Amino acid sequence: MDPVIAALARAAGLDKALAAFPDDVKAAAEQALNNAGVITVPTDPAAEPWPPMRPGTGL
Amino acid sequence: MTTPHWLSAAEIAKAFAAKTLSPVELVTALLARIEALDPKLNAFIRLDAEGALLAAAQAEKELAAGRSRGPLHGIPVGIKDIIDVAGLPTTAHSKILVDNIAEADAPVIQKLRQAGAVIMGKLSTHEFAIGGPSFDLPFAPARNPWNRDHHPGGSSSGSGAGVAAGLFPLALGTDTGGSVRNPASACGIVGLKPTYGLVSRRGVFPLSFTLDHVGPLTRTVADNALLLDAIAGYDPADPGSAATTSRQFGRLLDRGVRDLRIGFIRHFHERDLPAHPEVAAALEDVARVLQAEGAQVRSVTLPTLPEFAGINRVILCSEAWSIHAPWLRERPGDYGKLARRRLLPGAFMTAGDYVGAQRRRAEVIAAVEDRLREYDVLLCASSMDPASRLDDPDETARTYPRQARTPFNVTGHPALAMMSGLSRSGLPLSVQFAGRYFDEATVLRVAAAYERATAWHKKKPPTG
Repeated sequence: MDPVIAALARAAGLDKALAAFPDDVKAAAEQALNNAGVITVPTDPAAEPWPPMRPGTGL
Repeated sequence: MTTPHWLSAAEIAKAFAAKTLSPVELVTALLARIEALDPKLNAFIRLDAEGALLAAAQAEKELAAGRSRGPLHGIPVGIKDIIDVAGLPTTAHSKILVDNIAEADAPVIQKLRQAGAVIMGKLSTHEFAIGGPSFDLPFAPARNPWNRDHHPGGSSSGSGAGVAAGLFPLALGTDTGGSVRNPASACGIVGLKPTYGLVSRRGVFPLSFTLDHVGPLTRTVADNALLLDAIAGYDPADPGSAATTSRQFGRLLDRGVRDLRIGFIRHFHERDLPAHPEVAAALEDVARVLQAEGAQVRSVTLPTLPEFAGINRVILCSEAWSIHAPWLRERPGDYGKLARRRLLPGAFMTAGDYVGAQRRRAEVIAAVEDRLREYDVLLCASSMDPASRLDDPDETARTYPRQARTPFNVTGHPALAMMSGLSRSGLPLSVQFAGRYFDEATVLRVAAAYERATAWHKKKPPTG
């Protein structure tokens, strides 16, 4: 197990999963890390996320 | 008369009016069929025979007194087991919730009861609508009525299998990355993911707050419109609910497609995720049929499927982690392996990943909106392959993500999947139509024109 993945898992509170299902934790971490580069994040600093904040509705 | 189990809801209503069939006769016939077939299909997690017969008797009494609640009066409906039905378990097909009894009906169930529908019971799903098909859960996975060795699609597996097998004419499913449209595609029926916010999600176990939808699965397009009419509507207690009065979704079903502009997103199945040749050929046939019916069909482009899928995955995993983290920390062994593997990635995604995906989401929404200013409806693939074998996890893992449904979860536009043919191996092929926000009526109009022209809906699986 990559020590960085193990440390991240423990930081997320996944000690039990790490002990019982280390392969699942490793696969999950690799899947999350493999997302980097798939999405073209906007370069415009003012591009806001969806959905936008809507004060006064639904609250 | 057609045997009762193959009648559409619209045909059942006519039979009730003509007094050639009664709600109790129908439910009794369906219960016998369920008893005979469901041990081989596993569509149900919990059949509520007693509740269904009581509701049918009530519906029958009201009809005898001349009181009809509308087109769904006395019509049986199956419910995916992540939607609360008061007094029945909502297990989400998981050991985690195996003892969870719903205290109240979800608003969609309240609406169905007000419409006079008969709730038949709770249906198989992938665990928490994400982990399946799995054999390490408290309940067996549903099987495809066209070939029981094959996957019925998911995660609304029991909804698709049960409607296709004639166990009930209507079902509710949920769709976060395609989970209504996938079983519709695999089982050769009609599945609609409505516009985000059109149907209340309250009382539905969440998977991903900004991607979750509840939608109808039916054997005909007209039934799909009827079921959507019954469940749509603003719910002030659902933060994502839209304040819309859109209704009468079937009002354009007979209008045909003459002069409608249809954008064909060919690159989804030609370049992004090259489809099985039979799927690709069937899609070209769909375009030809619609052109012959008078529509203008032109190729259009959108961002690529891998990017839509990446946005969907980051948002889904991040939001699902925030829901499942306490159980994943304390009870990881109570999840099946697939759900555990699909939910854990959220623990490793960063705030930057999530916000980046949501920022890109705004841009891809704008791209789809641009296309829908030029075109009335978009046509594209649903699944890129016929359904995989259930006993081949590698093939299921390879084919399951090969689909074009996630774009419309990311953007929230309405999207419908339906049968477009049969493979040489006898499994359904599929097509998808997507439309403008709250314009389900036009999506259903195109689907109805295609249904009339091809009659694929008249093909039945070899269940008898």
